[in-house]
Amino acid sequence: MIGQDGLWTKTFRYITCLLLVTWLVLPLIPLAIWSVARGWFFPDILPRMWTLDAWRYALSDTSGVLDALWLTIGISLAATVLSILVGVPAGRALGMYKFKGKEVIELMILAPTIVPGIAVVLGVHTVFIYLGLTNTVHGVILVHLIPTLPYMTLVMAGIFSNYDPAFEAQARSLGASPLKTFWYVTLPAIMPGIIVGGLFAFLVSWSQYILTLLVGGGRVVTLPLLLFNFATSGRNDITGAIGMIYILPGILILTLTAKQLSGRSGAVGGFGRI
Amino acid sequence: MRHLSKWAALAATAAMLPFTAMADTADGEALNNMEWDEIVELARGGEVNWLMWGGSDTINQYVSEYIGGILEEEYDITLNRVGVSDTASVVNIVLGEREAGVMDEGSVDMIWINGENFRTMQQADLAYCGYTDVLPNNVLVDWDNPAIANDFGVPVNGCEVPWSTAQFAFAYNTALYDAPPTSIPELLEWIEANPGQFTYPAPPDFNGSVFVRHVFYHAAGGVENLLGEFDQERYDEAAAATWQILNDIEPYLWREGETYPTTIAALEQLYANQEVGIVFNYEPAGVGINIENGTFPPTTQGYAMTDGTIGNTNYTLIPFNSPNKAAALVLQNVLLSAEAQVEKAQPDVWGTQPGIDMTRVEGEIREIFDAIERHPNVVPAEDLAATALPELQASWISAIEQGWIENVGN
Repeated sequence: MIGQDGLWTKTFRYITCLLLVTWLVLPLIPLAIWSVARGWFFPDILPRMWTLDAWRYALSDTSGVLDALWLTIGISLAATVLSILVGVPAGRALGMYKFKGKEVIELMILAPTIVPGIAVVLGVHTVFIYLGLTNTVHGVILVHLIPTLPYMTLVMAGIFSNYDPAFEAQARSLGASPLKTFWYVTLPAIMPGIIVGGLFAFLVSWSQYILTLLVGGGRVVTLPLLLFNFATSGRNDITGAIGMIYILPGILILTLTAKQLSGRSGAVGGFGRI
Repeated sequence: MRHLSKWAALAATAAMLPFTAMADTADGEALNNMEWDEIVELARGGEVNWLMWGGSDTINQYVSEYIGGILEEEYDITLNRVGVSDTASVVNIVLGEREAGVMDEGSVDMIWINGENFRTMQQADLAYCGYTDVLPNNVLVDWDNPAIANDFGVPVNGCEVPWSTAQFAFAYNTALYDAPPTSIPELLEWIEANPGQFTYPAPPDFNGSVFVRHVFYHAAGGVENLLGEFDQERYDEAAAATWQILNDIEPYLWREGETYPTTIAALEQLYANQEVGIVFNYEPAGVGINIENGTFPPTTQGYAMTDGTIGNTNYTLIPFNSPNKAAALVLQNVLLSAEAQVEKAQPDVWGTQPGIDMTRVEGEIREIFDAIERHPNVVPAEDLAATALPELQASWISAIEQGWIENVGN
């Protein structure tokens, strides 16, 4: 009985895995084909003519895609690091302590994910002008924190709500300094949460459009800005080429953190293993 | 003593150097009273940030490489072309800056603009005006032409300069149909005879809105009654007939008119995939570009309507708070030059019609323009120009768009 049960779960797992991969990869195939097609019309299964024109344009100085790629990576990494620095203590406070007005604070942190961005973006723009942060890269990094922080903070709050501070007390009683305690006890325990939250933060920052355009004022040109230009104008070939470049970092990071994201890690299943 | 003063003068010059090189030219009034050579000197070594629709690789290449090259080589000006997918968002940047009190260090130096967006800029007093006479190439612009002097019925009043002209044109697939319908009444019959083969983008899409206006002109019995300020009575009369026509053809549209494409790009995709048989665009040269880049089947042919199509002009505008107005003026002057306009008219570059009056251009450059061979599948500009219809004032246009949404698109 046990063996059969195991077989069934295994098959189920493979089928789910296959479905998931198909679902994730299938939409990318036409995108990849379009990027090397010169026209692709119904009912042709494959384009009749192939060309590297779209790639040539995407990699040219005129398109600015490569500059934008590096800039976007820098901005998203910086936004991720800042999200972690703010989100970890905030998540600890929300996850571990009860205090007055906690619900209000939780709601305010959640607000950017509930309120449509377009409704607040003009107000945010005005505030950033007053602060002298428009048209700068650091202004764009800061404004990206508005949509990234809710994810980071909520993931960390979940992690800390299952976290037992007695481990820290134990380390301290054994003579570890606060820094050592954090490094050897707290950090390893919350690492899966930092990785998952950081991944969210990176990808959310990676896909920002209107905030970047307004606060960056056209001086800060990230990949989504270039991609949407062509996506909205129906140029499937160039959209395909830029899109292929656009998804690279996401895939790279996903591969690197895959182990942490699997069911075996603490990030998904709470802290059962600690 | 003499040495000392020499050194002092040198030090003073050195200290001032960065300021003169990076001169802030936000004061438009001062520029309006300057000689052109002075403006060029002020602009030298600076930069200009041009925010414009960026969805075409050929247009981007023309602007960044050809125009940017001239600015760099002849004027030492850096052109920063910023592509946007919607010009309204640029208007919002300038609007937001004005509300926040940014009066002379805005982030936008130039916008490619017309119609609704220009009206917004004008109403909110966001445009730098009164400089056109300063530009040497302004002599090539025919300001006596009402189609140039009015941007969708709003007087330009020296607040922008023309870049290109465009005229609405239809196109069909010659492999599927022998002859296309060449007037609005014929088109309406054609739609009923070919169910599912036609649709149009839902207004307020720019191109879908123009298509609806063609039907509106037809229902009103001509455009003559619709010119000038918005008139509720005349609107109601023509609108009722228009909604009647559009609702009558709805069952014969693509997917029985249950839904409409929301953008011109979506309609072009439907056409490219042969789901519909007729496509249209405000930029007739787009047919040639789209065939060359593989978006359209090579059997696509653009054509004019015997009862005319609507034409417009698009412009470049300098926001009131641009800190680089001198460089923006130099850029506008380069754009207006006969050389740049003729280059832009080359079918493999862009193929769009000049914003300047080519009869004012003489010599070799005029000969090059006259010798341009248009893309064989693009409707000849003369065919279109023979029956050009004017655009309505923006107040009419928004009323028609709103009316369509309430009466047809519901």
